[in-house]
Amino acid sequence: MTAATPATGAGDPLRVESLPTLPGLGGLYARGAASSGRIAAGRALPGLPVIGYGRAGDGDDDGGGTLVLPDVAYQVTGVATAGMTAHLHDYQRLLHEPVTDVLSAGYLHVLAFPLATAVMVRPDFPLPLLGMVHLANAVELRGPVQLGDVLEVRAWAENLRPHRRGVQVDLVAEVRRADDPAGVPVWRGVSTYLAKGFEAPGTEPAGVTEPEDAAEDRAPVGTWAPPLPTGRWALGPGTGRAYGAVSGDRNPIHLSALSAKAFGFPRAIAHGMYTAARALADVGHARGEAYRWTVRFAKPVLLPGTVDVAVTPAADGVGFDYVGWNGGRRIKHFEGSVTPL
Amino acid sequence: MATRKPTGSASRATARAAADRAPGVRDAVIVGGNRIPFSRTGKKYSDASNQEMLTAALEGLVARFGLQGERLGEVVGGAVLKHSRDFNLVRESVLGSSLSAQTPAFDLQQACATGLEAAINVSNKIKLGQIDSGIAGGTDTVSDAPVAVSEGLRRALLDASHAKTLQARLKALAKVRPADLKPLTPSTDEPRTGLSMGEHQAITAARWGISREAQDEIALASHQHLAAAWDAGFFDDLVTPFRGLTRDDNLRADTSMEKLASLKPVFGKSLATSSEAPVEPTMTAGNSTPLTDGASAVLLSSAEWAAERDLPVLARFVDAETAAVDFVHGHEGLLMAPVHAVPRLLARNGLTLDDIDFFEIHEAFASTVLTTLAAWEDADYCKSELGLDGALGSVDRARLNVNGSSLAAGHPFAATGGRILATAAKLVAAKAAETGRPARALLSVCAAGGLGATAIVESV
Repeated sequence: MTAATPATGAGDPLRVESLPTLPGLGGLYARGAASSGRIAAGRALPGLPVIGYGRAGDGDDDGGGTLVLPDVAYQVTGVATAGMTAHLHDYQRLLHEPVTDVLSAGYLHVLAFPLATAVMVRPDFPLPLLGMVHLANAVELRGPVQLGDVLEVRAWAENLRPHRRGVQVDLVAEVRRADDPAGVPVWRGVSTYLAKGFEAPGTEPAGVTEPEDAAEDRAPVGTWAPPLPTGRWALGPGTGRAYGAVSGDRNPIHLSALSAKAFGFPRAIAHGMYTAARALADVGHARGEAYRWTVRFAKPVLLPGTVDVAVTPAADGVGFDYVGWNGGRRIKHFEGSVTPL
Repeated sequence: MATRKPTGSASRATARAAADRAPGVRDAVIVGGNRIPFSRTGKKYSDASNQEMLTAALEGLVARFGLQGERLGEVVGGAVLKHSRDFNLVRESVLGSSLSAQTPAFDLQQACATGLEAAINVSNKIKLGQIDSGIAGGTDTVSDAPVAVSEGLRRALLDASHAKTLQARLKALAKVRPADLKPLTPSTDEPRTGLSMGEHQAITAARWGISREAQDEIALASHQHLAAAWDAGFFDDLVTPFRGLTRDDNLRADTSMEKLASLKPVFGKSLATSSEAPVEPTMTAGNSTPLTDGASAVLLSSAEWAAERDLPVLARFVDAETAAVDFVHGHEGLLMAPVHAVPRLLARNGLTLDDIDFFEIHEAFASTVLTTLAAWEDADYCKSELGLDGALGSVDRARLNVNGSSLAAGHPFAATGGRILATAAKLVAAKAAETGRPARALLSVCAAGGLGATAIVESV
């Protein structure tokens, strides 16, 4: 794939549409705008619903026709990171990353993902954003990105496929260095979402396995036996608000018990990517400058709450595996890995 | 050293040879120690500050050895929970004592190993001839612990103080949120893992399969031994009463296995469902050290300095070794660093566990002592983790914490090293006097951060 002819993972060509700036989030701190949190994609693009976990039983099946993803890749060029110091350091302090000038894979997700969100709110995007469940995320960081680098960000949707509870779709975002726009992306993230109650297009994409199903096919609550913990996160009631302010994802399910109840949750829930990024930070220097970082989400983390985590060397000796759970109730929240490349 | 009798033991001869290899290094000796009785937090010392307690411990030592107006080489000590205003805690304590105001001092901190690390520093300076005398000490209070403002309030206050205009100052202060007004109190959680020390040790104990009963036996022995030592007058020249307290008030001379068995577990309660080590929780308030207030001090010197002043000498400070372990991702237990330090210390001095007459293993938790002993007996572990040819060996329980340890006495973090060192020095002196043969003690103190300090003292 080159910058001139982008295509999906299945080889379908994509039309590139350029946006002037990263929607919502992009450049907010860089421009020294007020520190208010009006950075949700929903604010930047009027009428945009927000990404979220689904409410139990909201599987309205209104997807009677064939679902077709837009053949469009959004692109923003000339993304200058030089002015993002304060934002980066806020992110690093919140996620327990060392405060440096290096943009971790989690920070690049925060930077790039609003562009993927913009794809999902196009009128021709076939699935309703509201109520989508974040199943999994896989990121590759192929080298260090530092403050001062000028970046190019691109995002599109691909790989619509069946899931036993609906359809799942990958939102792909790529970050390249502006001085190497045709090269291999220095960062690439694939976020997998489930839209409940929809039916997949006629043929299942070839060669697709469904590892994400593990998040749904987990053992019944209360029987899973966790490993010994290596850490414990005491997440306060403001955890969702704090990550929302830094990431721009101000989905009401993360902000307060009251707003979360409106979507069927008993209390606010932590952002999945917050938990995955905490695990990434826990690995520390051992991850190196280039790494693959994956997560599969199971049950959401209710706030305030305590999460037991085990971040341990992988069985094959390369990288780390991690898992987070509720120690009292034996409920798995998430699991994933960080593997040096 | 010149006064020591030669012995027939091969290992002891090796020890001598090792010590003799370092020309120009002289002996550092332990003259004596003094501490105030340790008190459970929130009781007798609830309004005593670290400086008041350390000053009291120093003054008792000064009185015991006639050091009024004496210019010592250095006083070294610290506190684990220390207020930022106490930046010169030890120097201020010296100035508040009747030592010469020309006595230098400095603070150091190595979590629970602070007191022993202070003694290592003082003894090294004496051995090198940089000083002739010094005091190693430590103090800690949880009753009078520093309380800090939240990170949000702290940043807002700092930003406001850096602001040049009233408007900028107000803008900085406007960032303060109601939640920021909640004060921060010190915790025993490891910063990198978020697990408390007790939870960490519960995991280590589960890995090693340490039973509740074995832990309660250690706790019972600690209380019985400490009570017997108090009754025998062992602490008469090691402790000075303070604030109306004459004995460690955590000591329960009448405790029993039944009483200890009746206590509910407090740590490791979620481990019972673990796939790796599914064990019922075993760690209780009875087999874990309580939060405690107190202070201690130990006088060290060159043999000549002590002789010139006609002061007694209890023991030589032979050698020390510190260690740290990789606990963050569970490779090793948080409190297992001394397990790694001791084999290195013994090897450097040509000794084995059998050459040790007294083991002073700090009882952070009863299970810490037991995992330490179990690790040294495990050949696989000693090979893979400690790089030994086989098991280090077994510790004779009859030589372990013979006058009690932290489970009974309590554990004011930085003060524990001084308590252990003075006890060990007096034990080896008494043993040598009784048997006519040299006696040795091995000291082991685990600490937060995966740290540990160990030392050997030997009768003169």
